[in-house]
Amino acid sequence: MLLRYVTKRLLIGLVQLVVLTVAVFFLIRLLPADPISRFVGLNPSEEAYAQAERSLGLDRPVHVQLLHYLGLAPSQGTGLLQGDLGDSWVSGSPIAQEIGTFLPVTLELITISFFVAFLIAVPVGMLSATRPGGAADRGVFVYSLFAGSQPEFWWGLLFVYLFFFVLGVAPAPLGLLSPMTSEPAVITGFITIDSLLAGRLDVFLEALHHLMLPVATLVFILSGPIIKMVRQNMVRALQSDFVLYARCAGLPARRIAFYALRAAMAPSMTLIGILYGFMLGGAVLVESVFSLGGLGQYAIRSILAFDYPAIQGVVLVITAISLSVYLLLDILHAMIDPRVAY
Amino acid sequence: MGILRKCALAGTAIVVPALAGPAAVNAAELLFLAEDVPAGLNYDGPAAAIPTSQTGMVNLMEPLFGYATAAPNEDGVIVPDFSTFEGRLVDTWSYDEATLTWTLNLRQGVMGCGGATFNADDVIYTFERAKSVSGAAPIGWFLSNVASIDGFTPDVFGDEAARALGDEVQRIDDYTVTIRQSEPNALFLPVLTIFGLHIFDAELMQANATEDDPWSHDYTNNVGVPSFGPYCLESWAKDDEIVFTANPDYYRGAPAIERVVMKRVPQSSNRVVILRTGQAQLVQKLTPREFDSLREASGITVAGVSGNENLFVHMNFDVPPFNDPLVREAVARAMPYDQIIQAGYFGQAERWAGVVPSSYPGFVAPADHQYDTDTDAAAALLEEAGYPGGAGLEAFEDAFQLTYVAEKETTLGPIVTAIQSSLRQAGFPVTLNPIPQTQYGDRQLVQRDLPFAINDQEKPIGVDAGYAVQLFFVSPEAGGLNNMVNYRNPDVDGLWAEARVEPDQAARDALLAEIQTTLMDDIAWLPVVEYRTQWAYSDRLQGMQWHPDNSIRFFDLSYAE
Repeated sequence: MLLRYVTKRLLIGLVQLVVLTVAVFFLIRLLPADPISRFVGLNPSEEAYAQAERSLGLDRPVHVQLLHYLGLAPSQGTGLLQGDLGDSWVSGSPIAQEIGTFLPVTLELITISFFVAFLIAVPVGMLSATRPGGAADRGVFVYSLFAGSQPEFWWGLLFVYLFFFVLGVAPAPLGLLSPMTSEPAVITGFITIDSLLAGRLDVFLEALHHLMLPVATLVFILSGPIIKMVRQNMVRALQSDFVLYARCAGLPARRIAFYALRAAMAPSMTLIGILYGFMLGGAVLVESVFSLGGLGQYAIRSILAFDYPAIQGVVLVITAISLSVYLLLDILHAMIDPRVAY
Repeated sequence: MGILRKCALAGTAIVVPALAGPAAVNAAELLFLAEDVPAGLNYDGPAAAIPTSQTGMVNLMEPLFGYATAAPNEDGVIVPDFSTFEGRLVDTWSYDEATLTWTLNLRQGVMGCGGATFNADDVIYTFERAKSVSGAAPIGWFLSNVASIDGFTPDVFGDEAARALGDEVQRIDDYTVTIRQSEPNALFLPVLTIFGLHIFDAELMQANATEDDPWSHDYTNNVGVPSFGPYCLESWAKDDEIVFTANPDYYRGAPAIERVVMKRVPQSSNRVVILRTGQAQLVQKLTPREFDSLREASGITVAGVSGNENLFVHMNFDVPPFNDPLVREAVARAMPYDQIIQAGYFGQAERWAGVVPSSYPGFVAPADHQYDTDTDAAAALLEEAGYPGGAGLEAFEDAFQLTYVAEKETTLGPIVTAIQSSLRQAGFPVTLNPIPQTQYGDRQLVQRDLPFAINDQEKPIGVDAGYAVQLFFVSPEAGGLNNMVNYRNPDVDGLWAEARVEPDQAARDALLAEIQTTLMDDIAWLPVVEYRTQWAYSDRLQGMQWHPDNSIRFFDLSYAE
């Protein structure tokens, strides 16, 4: 049953990916600028323009460009079907290689951030719901006003100023490692994993140290909505009939709270999934503040430079990851809530 | 604060007990924080126009010629003496006017990072590659064309046979090369100082060529660039950092700083903070306010030079009402020059009195064609043009959208606001129109349809008034290259046609002076200010030198004892 459901979802996801790929291909060509101007800055002659246009393949009809991009025109070269996302028009490097460099940085940052945010938000949300008006509840109210009132880059800059410049307990915002540290060989692209695989505990600890402030910034921002969602759903669950029945049956308070939490977790997990997909590109400001070369920064650079292949590649990868996360959530949802049937 | 500090320290100690802080930089190392790192190292490739890519190229590669140096300026920054050329990879040279041929005697004993020895083959390879126009943005061909090197004509784009290097660049022996021009052209030597004709190590380039990529564009876009420069490439992670190590065999002596880490820190405020803690030794591209804030900081030097960076107002001659000279002059009279210098640049700028960088040879500032702020005069000019108090200009609201690069909001924001306010006061219906850099570039360079804009990014890298004139003001029909305001004046075209091939320097300068006077009279551009190119660095660092491409050469730098 589960296999059939997952297969069905994967097939639907594939169709979504194809539709989105084609839509993005045409949509970015509606952007109000011609990317060729970047190439002819020092030499804007007609000949140079034609040369740049040829080198980017933009001299061909759009349908030929699309077929080439999809990998359906073997005479034009490889494309998506052959696993080739094309080359960046900014750097000339293969897009797959560039995304392979930037994506792990973002995944590492947001996965750790969500994990920490989850560990903090769930107990706080529970506590806040089980004791309305208590200290935790009042604290959550103040915090949600505080954290939500300023954008994340502002908090990031404030944290840099306070913890790096004033207190000196955080490292300089220079990426995942100090520039003078020799990096371990790239195996997975995740510095925390690669450093452990290479037996470099010093690098692992340094990476954690460098991740401390960006993770704290994201946790500070992400915890707010998760706490609120857990709290609201807990309150609703605690008022439901099955909790009333459990209370009447004399079940211990901790067990009742566990049942209520299980009921509250499903919508909270959905929120986390949506936030995770959003943060793949939305962590860009935190990446920028802490000089982390992540996918968000890559996306912004590509958009500003009208780097069509890179934009297409980023959208494709973010979509694929988001769809995978949603699928995973659906499966988790079913595991938490026995009422869900495939 | 004490409790907070203790808590934070305790927290850190629990999480990362092994870390006492970032690794210290030793005396022979330099941590240089920049807005980006090289996106490519191929001057004929897609990243050639990006300033940080140029920084990578000029530190790894070597030119045939350079400029001698003049005395340091008031900030202690060494500036070039543009009147004196120095041989770099060229030892001695001569020019035969009769045959328009330069004979270059190449320097012997020059070693590249890969162990190769420099000789004539490297020069031939470099020009062969330039003429192949095989890269996405063939800068090498463009510069050769600007210098009138024979055969480097636009024909190469249409005719494959024309792309083969003939006897215009000829190897005489291992250390002698001749280069023939198609006409006398004073731009020959200036052009050979520019990064877009720096010399490749032919042997290593060919070793990294493939059947699909015989000129090693992929290699130079993504892996490295073999040459004979002062630094070798240790590692390069795009969008993150690039590490240079000194070339111990560099022919001008091994660089004093043995290792340079150029690190990308996109937020300028973070570059400031890290410099202030002493962890970095050099930063660039801060906002004028940030440079100003560092001026009094202990252990930090802020230095700059009025080099070739400037700000001008772009008014398109093809878009009414900017085709009316009276309207153009009215805009010039309403411009708040002093406010821009103070509010926009914190005093680190000066009025620009011409249309060519004032540091360049051949620059003139026509005294009777200067436009000071005078709102009464602006109002009178508007009335004379038929728009009393600005009445009637509302029909041109689209034309009065003052366009600027959105990514430069931090720097240009206060400036465009001051201009908008001053011009609205004079009766111009100015609105602001920030657009992305690429869109700006497209409309400026390719479409040439920007009606009204502010521009702070045009700096002619060829150090010559004639180069600037040909680049920006000559009409396309007469060989103009980047005439973004669609300025057409047959007098200027005619004078440039004479100046271009005038062998006598004094006569050429006179022709260029006449052109510049005409350009100021027509307000071809409205020059506003020349702002200082600035850096902030550890006060232990010495030898800072300005180069016309505004890229730092690490070879110039050393630490004070």
